[in-house]
Amino acid sequence: MFREGIGERTEFAEYHPWVNLVYYALVIGITMFSMSPWFLAATFILSWFYSLLLKGRAALRLNLVFVFWIVVVMALINVLFVHDGDTVLCFIHGNRITAEALIYGISAAVMLSSVLIWFTSFNCVMTAEKLIFLFGRAAPVLGLTLSMIFRYIPLLRARYGEISMGQRCLGRGKVEDTKPPLKMRLRQAGKNASILISWSLESSIESADSMEARGYGLRGRTSFNLYRFSRRDTAMMVWLCVLGALCIAGCALHKTEAWFYPVYKLHPFDMMTAVTLIAFILMAATPLIMDIAGELRWERLENGEQ
Amino acid sequence: MEMIRFDNVSFTYPLADRPALSEVSFSVSESEFLVVCGKSGCGKTTLLRQMKKNLIPYGELTGEVLYCGEPVESLDDRRSASEIGFVQQNPDNQIVTDKVWHELAFGLESLGLDNATIRRRVAEMASYFDIQSWFRKDVSELSGGQKQLLNLASVMVMQPRLLVLDEPTSQLDPIAASEFLQTVRRINRDLGVTVILSEHRLEEAFTMADRVVVMDHGGVLSCDAPRSIGAKLAQLQHPMFYGLPAVTKIYHTVMTDREEHPETAETYAGEAGPLTVREGRLWLKEEAATAELDVQTAGQILREVREEKTETRPPAPRRADTDLAIRTKDLWFRYRKDAPDVLRDLNLQVERGTLYSLLGGNGVGKSTLLKVLQGILKPRRGSVQISGRAAMLPQNPQALFSEITVEDDLLEALHYAEKTDEEKVAAVESMLQLLQIEHLRQVHPYDLSGGEQQRLALGKVLLLEPEILLLDEPTKGLDPFFKITLAEILKDLAAQGITILMVSHDIEFCAAYADRCAMFFDGGIISEGEAESFFTGNNFYTTTANRIAREYFPGAITWEEVAACIRRIR
Repeated sequence: MFREGIGERTEFAEYHPWVNLVYYALVIGITMFSMSPWFLAATFILSWFYSLLLKGRAALRLNLVFVFWIVVVMALINVLFVHDGDTVLCFIHGNRITAEALIYGISAAVMLSSVLIWFTSFNCVMTAEKLIFLFGRAAPVLGLTLSMIFRYIPLLRARYGEISMGQRCLGRGKVEDTKPPLKMRLRQAGKNASILISWSLESSIESADSMEARGYGLRGRTSFNLYRFSRRDTAMMVWLCVLGALCIAGCALHKTEAWFYPVYKLHPFDMMTAVTLIAFILMAATPLIMDIAGELRWERLENGEQ
Repeated sequence: MEMIRFDNVSFTYPLADRPALSEVSFSVSESEFLVVCGKSGCGKTTLLRQMKKNLIPYGELTGEVLYCGEPVESLDDRRSASEIGFVQQNPDNQIVTDKVWHELAFGLESLGLDNATIRRRVAEMASYFDIQSWFRKDVSELSGGQKQLLNLASVMVMQPRLLVLDEPTSQLDPIAASEFLQTVRRINRDLGVTVILSEHRLEEAFTMADRVVVMDHGGVLSCDAPRSIGAKLAQLQHPMFYGLPAVTKIYHTVMTDREEHPETAETYAGEAGPLTVREGRLWLKEEAATAELDVQTAGQILREVREEKTETRPPAPRRADTDLAIRTKDLWFRYRKDAPDVLRDLNLQVERGTLYSLLGGNGVGKSTLLKVLQGILKPRRGSVQISGRAAMLPQNPQALFSEITVEDDLLEALHYAEKTDEEKVAAVESMLQLLQIEHLRQVHPYDLSGGEQQRLALGKVLLLEPEILLLDEPTKGLDPFFKITLAEILKDLAAQGITILMVSHDIEFCAAYADRCAMFFDGGIISEGEAESFFTGNNFYTTTANRIAREYFPGAITWEEVAACIRRIR
């Protein structure tokens, strides 16, 4: 069931875009202020789970590549350029290589890759439609512009296909298995692009007419959307905000941090750290739990029908 | 009440030597359905654009256009935007946003309505137009017909009192076009919205119209009820007559026949001409009953008409040897492994020098077949034998235009040709002549009308000196007059020995001009034959004229033949 990922139609994705946005703002924001291994582990593992849950196997390889390179590059750079720290591992060209610098590099790399992996699930949850809505709240023109861009990308792609097809009718470009030399292919690509531009400019006159004919440019334009902030959204928002507030309080009290230089030292694991950590895990895991529960419910429903 | 009134309106574009509209006067009353027809370039679009404030073209305007008694150009912007709806030709270019629901809401957003009101109006419109099932889709996933319906709906959602449509169906296939026109009719009937529609496909529009305006050279030639509009044009023997629906043409040709019945022709005013195939059949039945027509005389008459036709227009000389230009054997094709087969066991044989047309519905794989023949797609199984160089004309001529003048564009086609510059210029020159576009040599390809663009694209393809010409819907969006010119060009090419294979929806065109026709269905060719026997054999998929006359003259497929037959029995 989870092999291919459960995609965009998930329980959590069906919440109001504001709820989705607040969730990601909190999770990613707190991740960026976390250097203590507890929090890094929590955010790293949860980001992986959520990304794999939504996108399935397809995300696995990409995430692994991301993580590997970020860890290698950042740990290496930090170790080679930062020589602070008391625990010397060895000397290279007379420079100290310290354990603290290595730990710092790895921690920062884990933090950064967690943020990136959170963004892969963000991509899935925050569809273009939701982004258009959120930007439209900020400025109606911005929302409309985004919407027009998302309209034009597939249109231009289809048009380009038609052009290159038309050019092949003239015997240009790739016909059957023959491949013309690079210079000719480049010339043809340039020609196709130039046709695409003049065609699109020409047709955009009609689009402009159509916009104006439907009153674009009148004063007081509003921005319509299909979202409704329901009671469910309010409840979710309160839940996220309460947990978020706890986490932010923990951040403010430096509970999510660690000290690296001169000696790697963790904050004592006190009551407040535990509360912050639990609040963070609960918050970050909320969509995961909801989506899995939702998926199981569907499974039950569908099996029940048979 | 008068909705729109044109008072002696003349309009000249800047730098034009003659006016685009000259002394146009007519008025449209509330809830009327008006159809505007005429050759392309006769000023239809210019006329329609005068009715919408922000679309009025730049130029010199005299006279007045009044909307509900007020000049259009001094209407309040808000009122003009919401009360006058305008739908243009191209389905794609009018869509602005990425989602169907957003497109529907676009006009209401502009008017500044609040979310709740928009939600309600959009819901009403979506239900009325039956677009609930694709309400949340991306616009790029829609078919052409759906896109145009969406354009109509997103204008209707602003609750206009006047709806102006500029050739809205010219880019649609016949079935989508018919659906679209039915929706327009429903809007007019159910909601009382005044409709002004310009069209080339008049068969259907005529049955809906209260009045028809025929335009010619920027002036109104005639403005009358659809049942009688043919009479005047037939008496004038005006070329516009050939653009009318087949039923109208047959009826009025017979009724205004001066040679045999001069007395009726003079007094005839044509009040009660038939409009539909049904009415045409009933009329013919009556005529046949009065003439006491029996099967044998009918057959005799048809034979006579045929002979006369072959005398005036000899058929293309047939070569004695059956020299095949295109031959496919057991052709199979599909796009992906898990996709359905588009071509199934297709066998096609086209003789050299013939105009062969392949008819069939939408999405049955006609264009795919052309791509396979052209060698752009590779068949999965079976063989294709093309004897000679093939070139293909794609559906959208714009895909071929890359230069800034017609002349340069034709020259560009010869870019890779191994010829001297003089030879190239000479080739371009003769192509301009062949296609009768010499006067347009310095014009930008995008400033040409649809028919002229089609000609230019054809010219580019022909400069490659193909021996086999593949045409994909060559009559799409063309007016009936240019279709005649196109047919002449194609006939000339065929006479020069070029083989032409066209795929088309256009039954009337294929019936009148193709040498052979074939029906394409479910990936294969179902039936095939010479145009005459092909359409005689079909019951439903045949020309309007044939459907009217098939009871008496089963072999008459063009309106001229049917009209000639009926004239003889009177």
